[in-house]
Amino acid sequence: MRILKTLKSNPTMRQPSIFAAVTIAFAVASAPLLGADSGRTGRFDFDSPVPGTYALPVLKMAADGEVLDSAGRKLRLEQLTHGRITVLSFIYTRCASAGACPHATGVLNQLHRLSEGDSAMAKEMRLVSMSFDPEHDTPERMAAYSAWAGSRTNAAEWHFLTSRSKGVLQPVLDAYGQVVTAKANPNAAGGPLNHTLRVYLIDRQGRIRNIYSSGTLDVRLVMADVKTLMLEGREPSTNR
Amino acid sequence: MKMNKFTDCFCRYEARPGAFVAALVLGAMTIIPSGRADETCSSPYLTRIEGQEEFVYVWTLGVENLGDGSDKLVVVDVKPGSRNYGKVIYSYSVGGRHEAHHGGFTDDRRQLWLAGLESSKIFIFDVHSEPARPTYVKTIDRFEQLTGGVAGPHGAYALPGRVLVPCLSNSRDKGGRSALVEFNNEGDYIATHWLPTKDNQRGVVGAEFADGYCYDARVLPRKNVMLSTSFTGWNNYTRDFDDLVKDAEAMKNFGSSMVLWNFHTRQPKKVFQVPGVPLEVRWAWGDKHNYAFTATALGSKLWLCYEDENGEWQTKEVADIGGKGGVLPADISLSADDRTLFVDCFGDGKCRVFDVTNPRQPRQIYEKTIGKQLNMVSQSWDGKRLYFTSSLLAHWDKGGENNDQFLRAYGWNGKELMPKFQLDFTALKLGRPHHMLFGSTKVGN
Repeated sequence: MRILKTLKSNPTMRQPSIFAAVTIAFAVASAPLLGADSGRTGRFDFDSPVPGTYALPVLKMAADGEVLDSAGRKLRLEQLTHGRITVLSFIYTRCASAGACPHATGVLNQLHRLSEGDSAMAKEMRLVSMSFDPEHDTPERMAAYSAWAGSRTNAAEWHFLTSRSKGVLQPVLDAYGQVVTAKANPNAAGGPLNHTLRVYLIDRQGRIRNIYSSGTLDVRLVMADVKTLMLEGREPSTNR
Repeated sequence: MKMNKFTDCFCRYEARPGAFVAALVLGAMTIIPSGRADETCSSPYLTRIEGQEEFVYVWTLGVENLGDGSDKLVVVDVKPGSRNYGKVIYSYSVGGRHEAHHGGFTDDRRQLWLAGLESSKIFIFDVHSEPARPTYVKTIDRFEQLTGGVAGPHGAYALPGRVLVPCLSNSRDKGGRSALVEFNNEGDYIATHWLPTKDNQRGVVGAEFADGYCYDARVLPRKNVMLSTSFTGWNNYTRDFDDLVKDAEAMKNFGSSMVLWNFHTRQPKKVFQVPGVPLEVRWAWGDKHNYAFTATALGSKLWLCYEDENGEWQTKEVADIGGKGGVLPADISLSADDRTLFVDCFGDGKCRVFDVTNPRQPRQIYEKTIGKQLNMVSQSWDGKRLYFTSSLLAHWDKGGENNDQFLRAYGWNGKELMPKFQLDFTALKLGRPHHMLFGSTKVGN
């Protein structure tokens, strides 16, 4: 697989086994799950809602902060949380906990693939995977993912971000309510960090409209929510 | 036990990255809320404590002329081997009496929200920085204005990044029409979802049973359903109980419904008639256990809400509690293996234990008098420890020598409850202990 070749050739990759596992998950996880987009699974045993038939109230504003893109350029995060409907996932690539970052990235990957065949979605949606492990997730490391995602030329934007340092990162995590702590045992199964799985749905005005965690991060639900926001047009529609 | 099986599977996947890939590929990955420890009736979205609980947080009603007279958060040390085991190690008075009732954590378990039924205030504490000494953060004190006229916040239920607050009343007539309210984890108002009524049916099936009352609300994520129950409004729960029961008109103002919601869309779908005030909702944890229990306080019955073979949700009365006359069952606690249901009965102070292995045919296997009155029960995930408190409502608790106010801890060996320690909240000048929640310095994902 192209992504594996990219990673193997990259000397900055220090933990090939875990990283490769995550990467393989990127590459293969979506295929069988995509086939079940319209169906139920054991974890999500229900019919997905019809877009536009329900409300997504505003939870709060999406926070800003300094980030680095996969080319190492400084950006303001708000540049990537406005103008399109954004699905933002906080991850770290050393995560080997099946239900956490690999799952979140797998769901974004499914959304990315679905957007290939949906020009409106490709145009109006943006995906962002933001690392909370800046010491290990360098721009170079994130670039491997970005290059892979970039191979889908007709799909939605997918940005892979990191930070200069923990100090720069922490205010962003605090503002989003993304909890990350180091495990007592850095060699613990699943990876060295404790974290709550969080994926954020952000509207065109930069307002958080939903937050998904392990019990709610079903690609069908995220899709329905994205399409609900697409149907809102550019006028705000909230019950605040 | 199916849940343990899946928990074991989850651990194996965590241990070997290759296995996790296989799980993803096969679509067989099952996320179980860690399942390592915690209270069995907590939100499935809640970050779990690891190992045994170290603290019990007790939301306690102040009593006039007793201590400082204020509602307070009381912290009891239950850490095994601690020199303070079974003792109160900290308390924080919030000032005034608000009809302290239920509480709950934010999903990251960093904050504890404690609700006041009478004043409609919610007090927020930081339980992360120093779990043994929670720090007061702020109060949501314009609840009725913020929520569009909802009153009587009953508790707090963790959802991803937000808190669901089921409520009992409204500011317009202080009756029982009420709503579910959502705040974000910062305490900012998000939305109000009124319960359906016959006049505002909101497209529900069973609209003829829609009475608008609300009490508890809990989610079964796997099925994307939420179940709410019903109680009574501010006018009744702030009134002296002996006086209330003599008022035939007021006694008509109690709920007799449960509502099934589409959780993701927050839309009510079906109303069930469940006579006699169904209170706490306890969803089963098993991966194919599509059912929940509730107990009716005035009906003294156990009810089951379940998905039938056609995928339709139904309700069914499945057991009597305490025989004729009624024993006012208040709180219930389902074991993590879905086999044992503990039922606290305020009327006679007994905890009745049911074998619910067959949820359609619960069978009482044990009972024990815990005190002269009994309300809440909190059970550890391993089913070995249960904590009981006594107070129902300030105006409904028993009087005189029957006004027993305690926290009592027991061990459970599958056959009987064995005392571990007790605290007399009157002698300690603390007040009337109500809801209990577990705390720890060890919190996982």
